[in-house]
Parts: sequence; structure tokens; C-alpha cells
Amino acid sequence: MSLFKARDWWSTILGDKEEFDQGCLCLANVDNSGNGQDKIIVGSFMGYLRIFSPHPAKTGDGAQAEDLLLEVDLRDPVLQVEVGKFVSGTEMLHLAVLHSRKLCVYSVSGTLGNVEHGNQCQMKLMYEHNLQRTACNMTYGSFGGVKGRDLICIQSMDGMLMVFEQESYAFGRFLPGFLLPGPLAYSSRTDSFLTVSSCQQVESYKYQVLAFATDADKRQETEQQKLGSGKRLVVDWTLNIGEQALDICIVSFNQSASSVFVLGERNFFCLKDNGQIRFMKKLDWSPSCFLPYCSVSEGTINTLIGNHNNMLHIYQDVTLKWATQLPHIPVAVRVGCLHDLKGVIVTLSDDGHLQCSYLGTDPSLFQAPNVQSRELNYDELDVEMKELQKIIKDVNKSQGVWPMTEREDDLNVSVVVSPNFDSVSQATDVEVGTDLVPSVTVKVTLQNRVILQKAKLSVYVQPPLELTCDQFTFEFMTPDLTRTVSFSVYLKRSYTPSELEGNAVVSYSRPTDRNPDGIPRVIQCKFRLPLKLICLPGQPSKTASHKITIDTNKSPVSLLSLFPGFASQSDDDQVNVMGFHFLGGARITVLASKTSQRYRIQSEQFEDLWLITNELILRLQEYFEKQGVKDFACSFSGSIPLQEYFELIDHHFELRINGEKLEELLSERAVQFRAIQRRLLARFKDKTPAPLQHLDTLLDGTYKQVIALADAVEENQGNLFQSFTRLKSATHLVILLIALWQKLSADQVAILEAAFLPLQEDTQELGWEETVDAAISHLLKTCLSKSSKEQALNLNSQLNIPKDTSQLKKHITLLCDRLSKGGRLCLSTDAAAPQTMVMPGGCTTIPESDLEERSVEQDSTELFTNHRHLTAETPRPEVSPLQGVSE
Amino acid sequence: MSSEMEPLLLAWSYFRRRKFQLCADLCTQMLEKSPYDQEPDPELPVHQAAWILKARALTEMVYIDEIDVDQEGIAEMMLDENAIAQVPRPGTSLKLPGTNQTGGPSQAVRPITQAGRPITGFLRPSTQSGRPGTMEQAIRTPRTAYTARPITSSSGRFVRLGTASMLTSPDGPFINLSRLNLTKYSQKPKLAKALFEYIFHHENDVKTIHLEDVVLHLGIYPFLLRNKNHIEKNALDLAALSTEHSQYKDWWWKVQIGKCYYRLGMYREAEKQFKSALKQQEMVDTFLYLAKVYVSLDQPVTALNLFKQGLDKFPGEVTLLCGIARIYEEMNNMSSAAEYYKEVLKQDNTHVEAIACIGSNHFYSDQPEIALRFYRRLLQMGIYNGQLFNNLGLCCFYAQQYDMTLTSFERALSLAENEEEAADVWYNLGHVAVGIGDTNLAHQCFRLALVNNNNHAEAYNNLAVLEMRKGHVEQARALLQTASSLAPHMYEPHFNFATISDKIGDLQRSYVAAQKSEAAFPDHVDTQHLIKQLRQHFAML
Repeated sequence: MSLFKARDWWSTILGDKEEFDQGCLCLANVDNSGNGQDKIIVGSFMGYLRIFSPHPAKTGDGAQAEDLLLEVDLRDPVLQVEVGKFVSGTEMLHLAVLHSRKLCVYSVSGTLGNVEHGNQCQMKLMYEHNLQRTACNMTYGSFGGVKGRDLICIQSMDGMLMVFEQESYAFGRFLPGFLLPGPLAYSSRTDSFLTVSSCQQVESYKYQVLAFATDADKRQETEQQKLGSGKRLVVDWTLNIGEQALDICIVSFNQSASSVFVLGERNFFCLKDNGQIRFMKKLDWSPSCFLPYCSVSEGTINTLIGNHNNMLHIYQDVTLKWATQLPHIPVAVRVGCLHDLKGVIVTLSDDGHLQCSYLGTDPSLFQAPNVQSRELNYDELDVEMKELQKIIKDVNKSQGVWPMTEREDDLNVSVVVSPNFDSVSQATDVEVGTDLVPSVTVKVTLQNRVILQKAKLSVYVQPPLELTCDQFTFEFMTPDLTRTVSFSVYLKRSYTPSELEGNAVVSYSRPTDRNPDGIPRVIQCKFRLPLKLICLPGQPSKTASHKITIDTNKSPVSLLSLFPGFASQSDDDQVNVMGFHFLGGARITVLASKTSQRYRIQSEQFEDLWLITNELILRLQEYFEKQGVKDFACSFSGSIPLQEYFELIDHHFELRINGEKLEELLSERAVQFRAIQRRLLARFKDKTPAPLQHLDTLLDGTYKQVIALADAVEENQGNLFQSFTRLKSATHLVILLIALWQKLSADQVAILEAAFLPLQEDTQELGWEETVDAAISHLLKTCLSKSSKEQALNLNSQLNIPKDTSQLKKHITLLCDRLSKGGRLCLSTDAAAPQTMVMPGGCTTIPESDLEERSVEQDSTELFTNHRHLTAETPRPEVSPLQGVSE
Repeated sequence: MSSEMEPLLLAWSYFRRRKFQLCADLCTQMLEKSPYDQEPDPELPVHQAAWILKARALTEMVYIDEIDVDQEGIAEMMLDENAIAQVPRPGTSLKLPGTNQTGGPSQAVRPITQAGRPITGFLRPSTQSGRPGTMEQAIRTPRTAYTARPITSSSGRFVRLGTASMLTSPDGPFINLSRLNLTKYSQKPKLAKALFEYIFHHENDVKTIHLEDVVLHLGIYPFLLRNKNHIEKNALDLAALSTEHSQYKDWWWKVQIGKCYYRLGMYREAEKQFKSALKQQEMVDTFLYLAKVYVSLDQPVTALNLFKQGLDKFPGEVTLLCGIARIYEEMNNMSSAAEYYKEVLKQDNTHVEAIACIGSNHFYSDQPEIALRFYRRLLQMGIYNGQLFNNLGLCCFYAQQYDMTLTSFERALSLAENEEEAADVWYNLGHVAVGIGDTNLAHQCFRLALVNNNNHAEAYNNLAVLEMRKGHVEQARALLQTASSLAPHMYEPHFNFATISDKIGDLQRSYVAAQKSEAAFPDHVDTQHLIKQLRQHFAML
């Protein structure tokens, strides 16, 4: 990420799958040729040694065969190559090659080749040292101030410094406190070795101290004499830099100052001779190699730092002067004079990319990939645009109602409820009491016509009914597959569900040509569970507190034929009485009048009547349909039992209020708990610990209270849930009775149901009472309103939990009243009026005149919120966000 | 080749070339050869070396600079009793973003985050933190995309940022911390540092609190231990004393102890450690850590002074300059922030954060052409993401280079990484549509913004304005209510609601909404007008 990239002067790829590291690159006039030009010497972990002398015909050329002066296989991994005056008696440059167990010094001589084949080199082994220990890296220099020759110091993997005076081995010393090797460098000014130890500090050892210290081989024996001997290896100075170092380098470009440069893993240091920090720079990327190369202006030093983001940065002290892109991650970088070109940057990557480059203002050609687009055809574009605009317009007009195109289903869903119970009941964890809970198997079959993705079946039944499994996933990879799943349904708790209907919903995506991800679609299928799943035959009782009577227009039917499974006695005289016994314990009795066309249902609990009443009516309809009678009808006369209904509402509401109180208490206690915690934390943090003053007891007590309150809230929630189920049953019954009473059509019943049974969950914040109240008031205001004046009534737009239920009760009574006076439930007449959009209750029609005035309001554009300027980049701390270039 | 090379040497080379997985695998092989239980055999230095190399490799894989990690969880916010003053003087606190003394763009021009700060040009972890007053407020903070949402737990973030949990080896953790004899290791300085970093960075995902204790112990152990040794050995061994003493003077351990204290929320203790470390050896990192402590303690002025002190020692250090600029930005002092960002660029002109921040600053101070140049620079440098193209598109639009606007947005859409980003792009496209007067397109754009991000309060607001112009007052009101409940810190929905209510004669609601708008943006002239007008109405009644 930079404006510019390094200009390629010459590059090549070395070998095949060879590995290189920091020490493997060296630039020197190794064959001592007269023109003083540098050669590139590269060794690899594979054991190959290569010498290049690039002279490209033109910039950016690849390597020619004649550029390679020498390639030999040394059969041992090459760890480091250095060039220096390593042979005694001559000041010629020789090549030192470090293998893991061997140090070899070669003399390299060049021979002029014939016309077309270029020059070549020969290599002659001058001497070699076999090493006792595995070597790691080496440094060289005129140790001890000798003139005209270079000595070599090798660091082994286990921390021994071995010094070779050319052909002979001088001595070896163990570094104290050694664990892993660090970089090694020799400073000729102070005549000392510098390294970064495992203790993360820069350490400097004087050569003289090393030379006179106790010999390393005797280390074990002299353990106890160490303290007194005076010959112990003492460090000259140390500097704690707090990190491991990658490389260390000592430079002195003018006589006055020499600096120690240390490249850490996260910082870059420049130290004085005595180990004080001259400056440091925090790097926000991971560096890979560096090279302080020259001093352009007085007192500053330029440094090349390569990093793992393929960048090469050039710093003048701490100021970034240039940044350039490289095609690889450099593990070693050198600067040299090649082919009469001064200052060529030579970089080597760990997989063998060797590149000679120079800085230039070649822009890094970052090409933003094209946005995938279709060929522009303006005619087609217009047509499609028109079509889409039309669709959008239609959607907007129909107020969000999606145009339902009837078409063949891609998927067939069918549900079969088995007629018999499971032979072994699948019910687990039942809280019903003593009765044995049966379960019934439901089988869902899916059949697809086309390929569908991500088909998911979820099944829902009214609690307290429970399923053994309610989620299934399918994959329809080929057309016309049939999949079947089965699961069992049983009653879990000891109250009755509000409905026996279950719902199986399949959601899937249907891929199309334009949309390979698929268009999400949903299919649902309802099924009805048998009554006997929750109900047993029971003893009929003559007396009961709640009774309702259903009139029909046909002669009575024997209850035995209506409820064949529930005949408890075979006595013929009992056919007009039948008892039911719910698994939870409630008893219901159905009486059929012998003479009139009436049925009576009675029970101790109002809400329990619903299921049986509904079942009775359904079965009657079914029975007459079988008989071929078309005009069968039920009716209900007499007043709607609102009083009983209101009691249930009150009970539910009371529980809600109770829950709210409990939650308030809980939040109070939680605040108290946190306050005590904070106090305690402060106490514990204190340097001089103060007595706790029973704060711990208080904390404990509060904790117990919180737990108890949470339990109470949970219990209340359970009760509330049960109460809501009862309320739903009762609501169903009331709706049924109203429908029978006023002979409402199916549409009207649907409206009533929508008003009374909102789909959303009953929660503390938004509960049944206010939702239903809002819906009923809307009905009262619109289709059931008496005068237009009422229509203008404004309601508060926010739904809050009401103070009491009197308002709701009043509205329900009023609704029944209006219905009895001939009101009709119909929403189509006021479709022109604006509907509520986001929040119910917030809609009133506004006279048109107002609007025009507002639309010409002059400052309305100012009301827009400002455009959102996106933040430029999400930083991830582990990746440095910094790249670029300077000039 | 590898067979010939000494495995430890190869592993060490891998480590240096940052091939950590290879390095760790190789170390594992070496350690397997000689079965050892938990701790390396002191008799075999090779194994010790392999063991520590593996620990370091595992650490580096998940290493995050602790300075950059700066997100506070709810628990840290709520149980922090380090607050200095509840009502600080203006300009001395980050909690109350002072009013704009320095003449930067007002809120009407530059949007603000929920914490009341102008939106910054560069998303950093800390730019999102706003401290809610109570737990309830913290939990109920509207979850609007990324405006100052507190994160629920601090342990979550460590897992997210460093994916250490995914790297744990199948046969249990590499180092079983509960079985580690910390006292023993604290006496081995060569092992202790690497081990500490391993525990701090690699292991913090499991049970943060528990492990932080361990870390703290490990950190403090050498510290306490040396203290103890210091006294005991005083009588015994004079020679040992000097080494112990020099060990005790290790600034690095102090910084680490400070880091642990900071993570534990004990800022005062951390401050002490960092200060003591600075006295011994001045390092850039220590300055940064100490400044971070001061920012957490809500003492931005002290932090600024500290940064400047650091700059005296390390002139031109980019991270210090950048730190100053960030603090100025958070204190709402835009001009100073921009100045320091420019200073950053003088030192390092590839600094993305500085370029982005200066760019957005120019943009909001009505110089889109200059902002465009900054963003183009970022693009040339190879940053290629949706946000950048979005900003480029906006700049082009406001600099009247319409030809580039739509293509930029098109690219931004194709590059959007998540739905929130796409929502913002659509939102801005809606703005462009409003700008060219195509309300139909604007309507559709805002709708699309909402499809992508259902909590986009600004889009709700603008949709409401469009609805209002069409004359659908009820829809407009509903949308405005949604917008204001999603983002109570924005003044626009409140003001719009007040205007609508005023027009249809609902003065009471208008007044309430206008007051909310005034609370969100006290200097808004139109709101003041409206309130004045309403007061007159009420007085007349």
C-alpha cells in the first residue's frame, strides 16, 4: 500500500523450493576483480551457493545465463555467507561459508570467459573448521584491533561464542543466561560483541573480557569458583529493550559517532556506544529485515526497513522518507554497486526471489476490479426500469400487500394425524398429575416439484401441548423427492390448551435464474389433534356453575354417535348425557335435550367450556354434512356471559401488575447489589485494608434477595402464561358465542378474532389488554361508530399498560352492545382512510387543506439529517493500517 | 534439506521469518521426542529452548498491541469508581464533550455519535466508547448499528480480536497454567518474560478474570519475590544483592504489572507502575500506556501533557503525535486535532488514520474538493474498501463532480462488507437523490437503507420528511417517532416532530419534542425560534 513501487532493475528466482534466511545474502567484490564491482553471493538452506554478477541489457530484464558466475552444491545447509580477509598472509577478500557443523573459507577467482559465454568463477577451499556444536550465526571483524585481517566469531545454538583466528581456533566462551540465540554483531570502536539475549536486553561483551574469561569447557568444574575467580564473563553494559530483536547492526559513517542499530520485533532502536538510547521508533507493522546504509545529512543516518507487508521503508532517523512496494517479503536486504550502478537495493525473499531494484516514482498500478455489470443496452434498460417502477408503484399503492400470484406449489405438505395413540406414550417430564398421558403420532410428508434449498419445517402446537421434535431441515437437491417425518404430541401441563389445532410451516428458498440464492417462500399446513388426546370420558354431573345452551335448527342427534369414543356406559337411557374429564382435572358435561333442538354444556370453569363447545359444533356440522343436510345452523340466544369473561381478564391483569411490581423490586435489589459490590471493590483495592463493616453480610443478603425475587418473577411468569392460555380459551368461546348470537359471517368473525387475539406474544411491556383495547377502540371508532364525531376521536399513540381494566371492559361491553344493535364489522368501507402504520392507535385523518400548506414549507429540506460520512477504515490492531509513500 | 538441518535452528529461523505455525509444529515434534510432562527439563537446554520458542510462536500468532485494545465492557464501566469529578470544568474531561470552542463545524453539519462527539474519520476501538450513567441506561442503549454501544463482556472481545481459542491444540492446552509453578519461573528471567507474554496474550481467552489473576501473580511474583529476597539476602549474600537489585530495577516487569493492573481496572496502581518504569527507562510504549491510563481516568489534559513530555524525549514519534490528535478530537477540539494530524503526516505521510481524519475534517468544513484529494490519496495507496468509495462518492457529489458520484457509490455497494455498510451507502444515495430533486428515487433509497438496516434512524427521519412533503402526516409522525426512539441523541427527528405537531395544532406535543431537540442541540436556531413561538402561544392562552 504505497503510491510507488520499487523499480525492477534485475531479478531472478533461485532454485526450486529452496529456503533462505537473513544471513544468506552477501554483496562484495568476492573475486577481487579490478573494477571493484560487487557480486551477489547467495547461499541456501538446500546447500547451494550461487554468485551473480548482474548486467542487464536493459532495465527490468530477467537473469541471463551469463549473469550467474558460479553455482555449486555444498551438500550442507548454508546458514551464512560473509566476505572478508579471512586468509592469513594476504589482504585479498575470501568467502566464509557457515554450515551448521562446519566453517569453510574459500578463495574465489574469476576467469574471463570466451566471447559469448561470459565470465565465470572458480572456488578453492582454503581451510575448514569442523564445529563441535551446531552453529547459528557468525560475525567477523578485526577483533582486538589487529590490522589487515578479519577474525570470525561463531555463535552456536546453545550459546557458545567460538572465535577463530583465521586458520586456527582461538577459544570458546559460553554466554551467561543463554537460552535462544539472538543476532550478533561486532563493534570495532569499542572492540566488543553485541547481542540481544533471551532476557530481552542488548548485551555488550568486550573482546578482551571474553578472551581472558575462564574457558568454556571448564565451566562445569568451576561452578563454585565462579564468584571469586574474577575471570567470570562479565557483561560490559546491558540495555533492557523489552523485546526480542531480529537484527543488530553497527555503523559509523563519520568518525565522530558510531551507532548501534537494533531492529526489534515492534520497535527500532538506535543506541550510543555506551548503550544509551539515541532514538527509538515504534513500528506498527512487523519488520523483516533492515540495513542502515548511509548518512545523507550530518548527524542523521538513513535506514532501510523491510516488512511483512511487502514494503520497504526508508527512514532518516525517525522520519519516513520513502516507502516503496516490493513484489515479495524481504528476509535480507543489501545495498551495493553493481555493473557501475551505485546504490542498487538487493533484496532476497525466503522462497528465493532475488531482486535488484532502485527507487523511482513508478506508480504501483493498483487496478480496482470492475464492478460486475451487464452490457448496457439502453432500450432494454428502459423497459426493465419501467417494469420495475411499475411493480414498485403497485406495491406502494397496495400498502405493502404483496401481489399474490397463484401458481402451482413447488412443495406439497400434507399432515396425517394417526387415529390411534402411540402404543408406548412418548410423553416425558409431564406435570399433569396421576393420569397416564397418551401421545399421538403426527406424520408430515413433503413432496417437491423443483429443486429447493434450505427447506426448514417447524411445527407449532398450542402450549401446554408439547412436541417431541419441532424443527426439521431438508435438502431437496433433485425434483420429486418425498420426505416424511413423524413426531408425537402430548399434553405437558395440567391445564387445557386453548386450541387443538397445530401448524406446520415450511420455509424454503426457490432459486430462480436471476437470483441463484433463491426467493424465500413459506407454506403452511394446519392439522387438528384429536380431542381424546387431552380428554377422557368422565362421570356426567347434573349441577355446574357455568352453563351455555346452543340451539340448532335440526332434531337432536345422539351424543353417542357424535362422540363415539367417549361412551362410558352402554346404557341407552344415558345417550343424552355425556361427561368429559380433562387430563388436568376439569369435568364437563354435555346434555342433549330429548325434545327440543338444544344442547347444553356445563362446567365448573367458564373457560373449559370452549373446547367441548367447539368440538360439539364441529361434529354436529360434520354429522349433518354427512347426512346431506345443507341448511344446518347453530345459534345462541341470551346474553353473552361477559361477567365470567371479565373475571378472567382481571385475573390475568392482576398477575401482570404483580409481575411488574416484582420486576421493579428486582431492579431495585440489583442496583443495591451493585452499589455494595462497588463499595467492596473499593475496600479491597485499598492499600491499607479497612474493616469490611459487614458489607459482606449485606452483599450475601442482597444476593439471596435477588435470587428469591428472580424465582418469584419466574413463578409469576408461569402463572401468567397459564392465565393467558385460559384467557385465550375464554376469548375463543366469547367470539364463538357472539358469532352464533349475531349470526356473523366468516369475514366478520375473522375481524373479531384479529381484534381479540393479537398474534404477538403477551409480554410485560406490551400485553394483551392494551393491544385489544386499542383494536376494539379502533373498531368502535370506525365501522361501529355512531356518528362522524366519534371518528375524530384521537387516541394516545403509545401503548402502555393501563391502570385498570375498566376501560377495556367498557369497550367490550360497548362492542357487544353495538353489535346487538345491528352494527356490522367491515373494514373495506374505510379503506380510503389512512391506516395506522407503525404504531396502532396513532391514526387520525387530517383535513386535506392542511397538507398543501405544509408541502410548500420552505425549510423542510433542512430537516434532513446530515449524510453519514463513513469512517474510513476499520482498524484491526493486529494488522497495521499504515502504508504509503513520502517524497 | 530439513532433515539435514538442526530442527531447533530451523524452528528458530521459521520464527524469525514469522512462519509461526511451522515453527510451533517443529517445536512440538522436538518436544514429543523426549516425553516431558509440563515443564522443560532443566538439564536439557535444547528442550527448554524449544519449549520457549513454541510459547513465543503461539504468542506471536495472536499478538495484539495492548495499546490498541481499548474497549470497555459494561461491567468495567459500571464498577469503575475512579471518576475524578462528577461535574468537571469544561475542557478537562472527555465525559462532557465540551461545546465547540474552536469554531469547528457545528452539529448541524457534522453528525455526532451517541456520546455527543462528532463522527470521526477513522474508526478506532476507543472512538465508540461512551460511558452511560447507569446500568439501566447501558443496557437500554439503543442498538443502533455502531453508535456507542457498550459491549457486554470484556472477555468476549479478547476472543474476537485474538482468535486464540481456535488455535488451541486438540490435545489440550500447550501449557497448563494451573499446574505451573510460578515462583520457580519467576526466578528464571530468560524464561519468565516469554512465559508472561504467552499467558497474557495467548491464554486470556479462557477465563479472563481468573487468568488475569494468574498473570498478575506472575507479574507481581518476581516483583514481590525480589522484594522479599532483597530483604532476606541482604544479610546473607552481598553479591546476590547486586543482581537481585538490578533485577528489581527491570522497567519491563513494571510495565507488565501496570498492564495487568490496567486490565483489572486498577488505574491508580497501573499509573504508579508506569511512572516508576518511566523513571528508569523512557520508552515510547510506556508513555502510551500511561496516557491510556489517564484517558481511562478521564484526565485528558494530563494525558496531553504526558504526550508532549514524551515528544520532548522522542521528537517526531508518530504514535505520540497521533495520540495527541485523538485526544483533541475526542475533546471536540477539531482544529488542534487537525494540526496534530498534519504533524503526523510530516513525519509519516503514509499514515492512513491521519489522512482519513484530515479528509473528513475538510469534508465537514465545507471543502469537499480538498477532502476528495485526501481520499483519492488513500485510494492510490491501495486502500480498497466500501467506506472509502462511499466517502469518495459523497465528496464528488458535493464537489459537483457528478460523473464520478454514482460509480463511486456503485463500487461502495459492491464492496460493502455487511448490511450496515450497505445501508449507509443507500442512505447517502438517498441524499444524492434528494440533492438532484428525484424524490421518488430518494424514497426508494431510504427504503432500501431500512431494508438493509432496520435501525437506521437517519433514514427513518428522512423518509418521514419525504412522507410529510407528500402529505402523509400520520406516516411521517410514526416514522419520526421511530427515529427518535432509535436515536435520541439526534436532534433532527425531535425538531421535525415538533414542526409537524405545530402545524397540525398539537402544541403540547410540539413543545415537548422541541425541548428534546434543544437538549440534543442547544444552539439550533430554528428550535429556539419554535420554542419561543410556542411560549408566546401558551402565554396567549
